[in-house]
Amino acid sequence: MQENQEIKLTIDGKEVTAQPGQTVIQAAMDAGIYIPYLCYWPGMKPYGACRMCVVEVEGQRGTPASCTLPAANGMVVNTSPSEVEGLRNNILELLLSEHPHGCLTCHRIELCGPQDICLRHVRVTDRCVVCPKNERCELKDTVRYSNMNMETPLTYNYRNLPIHTNDPFYDRDYNLCIVCARCVRVCDEIRGDSAISLIERSGTVLVGTSHGSSLLESGCEFCGACVDVCPVGALVEREHKWDKALKTIPTTCTHCSVGCQVNLEVDSKGEVIRSIGNWEAKANIGQLCFKGKFGMEFINSKERIKSPLLKDENGYKEISWDEATNIIGKKLKNYSGDKFSLLLGPKVTNEDAYIAQKFSRIIMQSNNIDMATPYGDSLVRKLEESIGNMAGSGSLQELENSECAIVFNANITEQHNVAAIPLKKGRQQQTLNLIVIDPREVELTRYANIWLRPNPGTENLLLKGILSEIISNNWQDDEFINKNVTGFEELKDSINNINIDDISVLTGVPLEDISKTAESFASSFSSAILYSLDNIPSTQTTNTVELISNLTLVAGNLGKPYSGIFPLRSGTNEQGGMDVGCHPEFLPGYKSVSNKENIEYFENAWGTDNLPAHPGFKASDALTAMQSNTIQAAILIGDSPLYNDDAIHALSHLDFLVVQEMFLTDLASTADIILPMTSFAEQNGTYTNLERRIQKINLAVSPRGESRTPSQFINELANEMQSSIQFSNENPIDIFDEIKNIMDIYSQINIADLGNDGIQWPCNEESPNGTSIMYEKGFTNKKGILFSIDPEKAPLQSKEFPFLHIPGRILFDPNTDIEIVLSGRKNAISREEAIEFHPDDAKSLSIAPGDSVEISTPYSVKYGKARLTGTLKGAVSSTALFGELVTEMDKSSDLEPTLRLSTLDIMPARIKKIT
Amino acid sequence: MAEDIKSQIQRAINSQPQKTVTMLSCLLAVHDECGFIPTEAIEIIASKNDTSINDVWAVASFYTNFRFTPPAKNIIEICWGPTCHLMGAQQILSAVQDNLSLESEGDTEDGFVSLKYNTCIGACSQAPVITINHHPVHSISTDKILEKINKELKRKND
Repeated sequence: MQENQEIKLTIDGKEVTAQPGQTVIQAAMDAGIYIPYLCYWPGMKPYGACRMCVVEVEGQRGTPASCTLPAANGMVVNTSPSEVEGLRNNILELLLSEHPHGCLTCHRIELCGPQDICLRHVRVTDRCVVCPKNERCELKDTVRYSNMNMETPLTYNYRNLPIHTNDPFYDRDYNLCIVCARCVRVCDEIRGDSAISLIERSGTVLVGTSHGSSLLESGCEFCGACVDVCPVGALVEREHKWDKALKTIPTTCTHCSVGCQVNLEVDSKGEVIRSIGNWEAKANIGQLCFKGKFGMEFINSKERIKSPLLKDENGYKEISWDEATNIIGKKLKNYSGDKFSLLLGPKVTNEDAYIAQKFSRIIMQSNNIDMATPYGDSLVRKLEESIGNMAGSGSLQELENSECAIVFNANITEQHNVAAIPLKKGRQQQTLNLIVIDPREVELTRYANIWLRPNPGTENLLLKGILSEIISNNWQDDEFINKNVTGFEELKDSINNINIDDISVLTGVPLEDISKTAESFASSFSSAILYSLDNIPSTQTTNTVELISNLTLVAGNLGKPYSGIFPLRSGTNEQGGMDVGCHPEFLPGYKSVSNKENIEYFENAWGTDNLPAHPGFKASDALTAMQSNTIQAAILIGDSPLYNDDAIHALSHLDFLVVQEMFLTDLASTADIILPMTSFAEQNGTYTNLERRIQKINLAVSPRGESRTPSQFINELANEMQSSIQFSNENPIDIFDEIKNIMDIYSQINIADLGNDGIQWPCNEESPNGTSIMYEKGFTNKKGILFSIDPEKAPLQSKEFPFLHIPGRILFDPNTDIEIVLSGRKNAISREEAIEFHPDDAKSLSIAPGDSVEISTPYSVKYGKARLTGTLKGAVSSTALFGELVTEMDKSSDLEPTLRLSTLDIMPARIKKIT
Repeated sequence: MAEDIKSQIQRAINSQPQKTVTMLSCLLAVHDECGFIPTEAIEIIASKNDTSINDVWAVASFYTNFRFTPPAKNIIEICWGPTCHLMGAQQILSAVQDNLSLESEGDTEDGFVSLKYNTCIGACSQAPVITINHHPVHSISTDKILEKINKELKRKND
């Protein structure tokens, strides 16, 4: 049997070549031959429900459906003999007997508008012209293609079902459903959610949920994949429901670092009305999340800042761009050098980021340039040391074929939704062993084969446990380690003193699960690890990344397909920004500023002679430096989750602050000058996603008001401040050319070639087509480095205080009596606190529910009534009134790592029964 | 109470004797145990079979023989297979329906009797056949049927 050989067949007298595994309809579509279909969808498995795609095959009996018929050599297919056309018309007649079709059988079909009075007295619900999908309807197109003679002989039955409008984002009108099951299949097959199913049987079958519950209860993620594939008006986006698109612009979604390719539909008013996933793109294969699908309305917002604003005694007054650049230019001349900082929000393009860092370094003489993101570079910094690149090593959507994947402390379905799809798919095909490590319950834990739930704060210990299990059982990839890695012996020595039983007790994770995880991760042919640093205290993050890097290297998971290491960066273009030099220690292409050769190279390339050669402040440090007046002036471009209340307070210490933003946010309102910024839909450029994929963003609508792109603004400012040199070009294509000329990893990218798939760097002379899997030839310059493990840090708990006390608050507790008492001369609430812990712990302390107990931490004592409903062993939680908590939080030294807000301290504690 | 029904469902699912346990076999086991499929069962079966509640509901709602509300105290099933039909099942059905004031399948208003059609209980040689609380009553004539039913129900519920 010859495999992988092209198949030759004849369709409608035309010689057609098909790939092995293709069906007849795919071969026909590739050859530009149209076969009508309604239930088939390219990218999903054949289903064969609608029978519209029936064809005749010479020498075969009957009329097979071409969507389920595999193409075979020598096949002779006729797509539209009269017998087949008759069958199709019969099917359409049956469909129309339950689908409103007043307009489909009317000779005025091309002439009427929604407001016209219908001369045939067709009910409003039966007209195509008032259907939100009018002219986007595949059923309408199919009826037009067929020659049905505008008549439907069957009795028409309107289903009279109520329309579902209570769920967020989209409406469901099952009176229009033709039960093609595309929505059910995309939800199940592509998304792995099964939030909708086919309910009931035969004539009454319809799409629905369990017990007809709302989508909010059925497990729906509101990704809108079902809306995108619906061929009729049954599923429609609620915003701009009836609006018609004038043009469709392909671009890259701006909401997270997965970099989904979307097609933005723009109407005649120049508003973005819909976004639809691009099924040809490798980054997302047609899928979006609720943010990318339904979260584009901000572009059209009336609240956008429209012109530059200058702060004066009466608030802000509108000024022109020329005035603004003039004032900024004059002011900034006094703050050159380390007194100046430039921070970029994560949504700026590569071009804007490049121009910004160039401005900061050449004109302002400052290396205080960074991407403003919550984790900064701590997520990846150690990877540069161990494997040489601060980036994800493979392609996310290919992880569908992995054998094992670990998701570490990342709520991936919320923050990088589309990156979770390959994992869910692999899990559904039962080929992927999905392991989730997270103290929280996140959506993915429902899908996980193993959910390791370490006690909060013991994540690193758990990683050490997994590492030591791999090495002590000899599951490591010796061949890979010998060839590519140094430091293995030292690592082996350093894990010698790890006691896996202790780790199991301290983390609260069963030994068996640790062992299974270690074996699966190290022994599978392809394993990947996706990680974030959610809830890891900032002092431990470096350690976490070291351990994750170690795990990857020890298991030999680099340089082969379907595996790798994926730091889940939070910012959209955090990767690209760092690539092009928005980093206080790196010039474009990760060239260290401390290296003399690098400085000389860039001085040459940029025609300047005094680039600053000492590392600047990172974003988070820059904020601290502002408080101490070390940094006195700053330009901030775009908002970021990094700018919390504390950060904004720090910014208020600045002498001069310029913010370029789309909205008048808290951040913008601290600025001396606010400049209007374009949204991603209003400019051209490129983004680099977390798998190193450089993708284009395209101008879809014209900039709102006087908004300008950051590079337009900075270019003008540079010319204003130093007119002697030609700073740079404004055109993003020219800027990109400049980037690729000085940066090796981007050097062979042709911006015109960045189609649906983009290109993954390094794209240089060695690999001119980009690199989807890194390290295939080992690590280029040096060997990968394994980090030795730190000696055990003392765990929080001790013999004296064996429990962890987790403080929390309740608003209302039906089981507790509250009494208002007079305290001093004021009213106060008096009540007995609930002390909650695990029933097993209670048993060992012989405490019964309702007993009075005392919990003491090294710093405080609390009394209350025992409640045995806790879910974490070894943890005890207590409630406090809101006011008391605020005081406690104020004193706390714990910072919430994402937002850098003070949280409640978790303390070691002991429990005692009082009699 | 809610806790009770959950453990009842769990017991039904976990004590299936056959080797291959499927979503459908779980539904059948719960139906046999509880007499209907409670909402809680859908969730339990979904997590047992690694799928979503909607997929379980899709299967459950496909079969007319599953009911989703608690059945009445007594169940009368009337066979309307071909043999019983020839032997007068239609007359029996009309008589019973008139007596219970029902127009088709369903429960009486007082929740005392559930009437169900049955396509065949495998006792064609003794047609027409009905079952009262799963006990077959065979070769019955239309005039005797009501008497028989009343007697049976009285005997059970005394």
